[in-house]
Amino acid sequence: MLFDGDFLKKLEYLSLISRRVFRGSVLAQRRTKQMGGGIEFADHREYTPGDDFRHMDWNIYARHGDLLLKRFQEEEDLHVYFLLDCSRSMGFGNPAKFDLARQVTAALAYIALADLDRVGVIAYSQEIIADFPLTRGKDRILSLLRFLERLELQGSDTNLGRIVSSFVLRPQRRGLAVVVSDLFDPNGYERGLDLLRHRTYEPHLIQIHDPAEARPQMLGEIELVDVETDSVRKVTITERALREYRRVFDQFQAGVAGYGKKYGLGCTQTTNDVNFEDLVLRMMRAAGAVN
Amino acid sequence: MQFDSPSSLGWLALAVPIVVFYILKIRLRRQPVSTVMFWTQVLDEQNPRSIWQRLRHLVSLLLQLAMLLFLALALADPFFSWEVRSARRIVAVIDNSASMNSTDVKPSRLADAKRQAEQLIAGMRHRDEIALVAAGTQPQVIVGFTSRQKTVRNAVQFMSATDGPSHVSEAVALGRRLLGERQDGKQQEVIVFTDGRFDGVENLSSPVPVANDAEAPASGEALAQAPVKLQIIGTRTANLGITQFQVRRSLVDPLGYEILAEVTNASDQAVECRLEVELNGEAIDVVPLKLDAAGKWSQVFEKTSASGGHLFARLNYEDTLVADNTASAVLPRREVQPVVLVTSGNLFLQKVFEVNPLVKLTVVAEAPATIPAGTVVVYHRVTPEKIPPGLAFVIDPANTSDLFEVGEPIANPIVTRQDKDSPLMSHVRLDNVLMPEARQLTPTFLDQTQVLAEAVTKEPLFFAVNRPEGRVLVLTVNLDKGDLPLRTAFPITVANALHWFAGNKGDLRESLAAGSLATVTSNDFVRPAKGQTLVLRSPAGELMPLPASSDRMTIGPLDQCGLWTILEESAGNSPAELTSPELKSETAIPLLEIACNLASATETDVRPPEELLEVKTNVSPIMAGLGSRPLWFWLLLLGLILTTVEWAMYQRRVIS
Repeated sequence: MLFDGDFLKKLEYLSLISRRVFRGSVLAQRRTKQMGGGIEFADHREYTPGDDFRHMDWNIYARHGDLLLKRFQEEEDLHVYFLLDCSRSMGFGNPAKFDLARQVTAALAYIALADLDRVGVIAYSQEIIADFPLTRGKDRILSLLRFLERLELQGSDTNLGRIVSSFVLRPQRRGLAVVVSDLFDPNGYERGLDLLRHRTYEPHLIQIHDPAEARPQMLGEIELVDVETDSVRKVTITERALREYRRVFDQFQAGVAGYGKKYGLGCTQTTNDVNFEDLVLRMMRAAGAVN
Repeated sequence: MQFDSPSSLGWLALAVPIVVFYILKIRLRRQPVSTVMFWTQVLDEQNPRSIWQRLRHLVSLLLQLAMLLFLALALADPFFSWEVRSARRIVAVIDNSASMNSTDVKPSRLADAKRQAEQLIAGMRHRDEIALVAAGTQPQVIVGFTSRQKTVRNAVQFMSATDGPSHVSEAVALGRRLLGERQDGKQQEVIVFTDGRFDGVENLSSPVPVANDAEAPASGEALAQAPVKLQIIGTRTANLGITQFQVRRSLVDPLGYEILAEVTNASDQAVECRLEVELNGEAIDVVPLKLDAAGKWSQVFEKTSASGGHLFARLNYEDTLVADNTASAVLPRREVQPVVLVTSGNLFLQKVFEVNPLVKLTVVAEAPATIPAGTVVVYHRVTPEKIPPGLAFVIDPANTSDLFEVGEPIANPIVTRQDKDSPLMSHVRLDNVLMPEARQLTPTFLDQTQVLAEAVTKEPLFFAVNRPEGRVLVLTVNLDKGDLPLRTAFPITVANALHWFAGNKGDLRESLAAGSLATVTSNDFVRPAKGQTLVLRSPAGELMPLPASSDRMTIGPLDQCGLWTILEESAGNSPAELTSPELKSETAIPLLEIACNLASATETDVRPPEELLEVKTNVSPIMAGLGSRPLWFWLLLLGLILTTVEWAMYQRRVIS
């Protein structure tokens, strides 16, 4: 069972120590530009007739005789969207990358819900295959977990750009878009992320890969079967080809990290052989949320 | 083509699984991957598959089948019929006698002979057989007939040089006997690697006449037909050598000794050199020599020494054979012998002991109560009723004792028989000596008694008693009335007696010629205690165990020049100390030393016969070519080459 009682305890523990993950400076800090009825002081402005006297700064008036009005930043709840890759390539590895992806998604969603943020999950492969609508409150976590557990790997042509195109057209508030995927997208992952950025979403990448994908060991005459497309390719894998593969894979990984760095996006790259709580803690440490 | 082991062709059945596995291998292993996008990027950068790449699996199958075919054929051991017809059986005789140590051919004649023998071995064809016989000191079969080159080559390499005489003729006869034992139609041959310095060389290369005797052994024909080829090694180099070096005791001086030295010039030119004679490292004589071509020089040196030691003669002349430039001899130490003369007075008897420098004489009128061990007591006339234990010399006994009974006087006894073989009678003649009033003696213990001289009436006049308590000599001669004291036989008899009492200590052992056998008896040295072992140490320091319990043993052949030593091997002397080139006196005391010299004019003359040098090149080496290896070897080699090619192909397409 992917989400058991022990998992929930770990979520609670993570939520207690990570209040500031989404309010922190790394994942995303989004405060509304609107000034309003918040409690956090922003600045002063000249009093104009009709303004609410309750916001007058009487101390300044007493000292200097100027009528200034105190302005407060109005807080609003954060919208966190999880774009979860459910393509069949995510089923690769032992444990499958998909398991870690769902666990991380659940953990981050729980933390966000505990912080009274709004959380939505969009499961996709070649298209959006399931949607957990925006929700709020810790009590919704069980529904979310059930949703995640019911997800199945499917699809034969992952295309993040096409998914994001339909995602951004939704009438919804902008917010944090956490993409949890291996990013093995033949059409390129950059187009989808570019689209998110352009539509003022704050993308954050969590890229998961299997060590066997990074350092394959097979040699000789082999039929390579693409688990996503079921396509077969007869190849002769030599040591030289392995070296070249490693170079290409490392280049791809560096490209993902470079993309995040270039646009100031949060980017977490991991293998599937780590515990989700370790991964979340690592992210929180990187964000400075915990020591 | 025929096969020695045709059943091994059954291994060809392995072709079936190879083909089956090949077919199975065509169905490639499926490997699921999360995406092929990286592999596509990698593989598309490589060259498109060539015709060779497409056919390489088929080529690999053909290579594997060819490997199997070659290996199975190799196991079946194929051969051609001409191989059997042209097979040879060769006896290689290597002369490792002293003259083969000559260095006129670098590094030595023997090394060159071994090198040429190895060439012969390397030229052996498959199914050829070769045996190796050593012809130095003693003809010896080193390796019997074998077709395994490595065995014979190792035997050749480990064949050691000796200083012994050459026995090539005997070795060839031995080789011919070996060939005669096998009659299977192979070509037979005896090839001798020698310098030609041996007796009968002129007759050796000619075939032995076929025996007409109907009773000749079946191998007689083979003996006659096996041709002998001589491979002469060496040049007609000059050599000078000591061909005689012997030492003996002086007949007139107990401390004196005489050295016989002979030097031979085995060259075609006159030679000048020096012969130096040393005793314990101190020069005692130096003789300048001038020898004509093929000349000889000999001389006897008379010297005196009581301390004894090692005698060495050295020629200060550099030539190609070192072994005969030095000769050695062992001169035992002369021990002073205490003698107690119990007599009422006889000047002759007293003086005959006094003049002997090796005698410490004490003259007493009555027999002493105690006699120190090793002391010879001479009883003149007065004889105790029981001869005390120890060494006793009874002269002219007047009364009966436990060893003999004194009878009536014999008027004029004439010695008609004396034991010439006894050392007591060495250089002694008593047949014309007057012995009036000699007493009739009847020995009590006949089994212990050895009569040395007896009268015509069979009465013993001089006899020895070998009793367990000590040796006793009895001489019944009236010294006052006979003429024995006036004869030279008298001091010689007394000297022989003292020497006999001393147990032959100080006996000179003649220097042996290299290659001789030596006989050692229990009298030659003190036997070691029980549990201790005897070893024979060669001049080079090699140790050979000897039986400790045997009273008489033959050691040898002593095939190295120098001093051979019999040592007692005990906890005090470790093998490492015993085998060191210089044996320290505090490490081990030699029980017996035997000098061994080349002492052979034949070996000293290292010049090969001229007529043999002319035909030297006629002995052609056997050329091997490809035929030196069996067919299975080449098949196996082909199989290995194909294995290597297949391995390289596998590496190329899979690993690298």
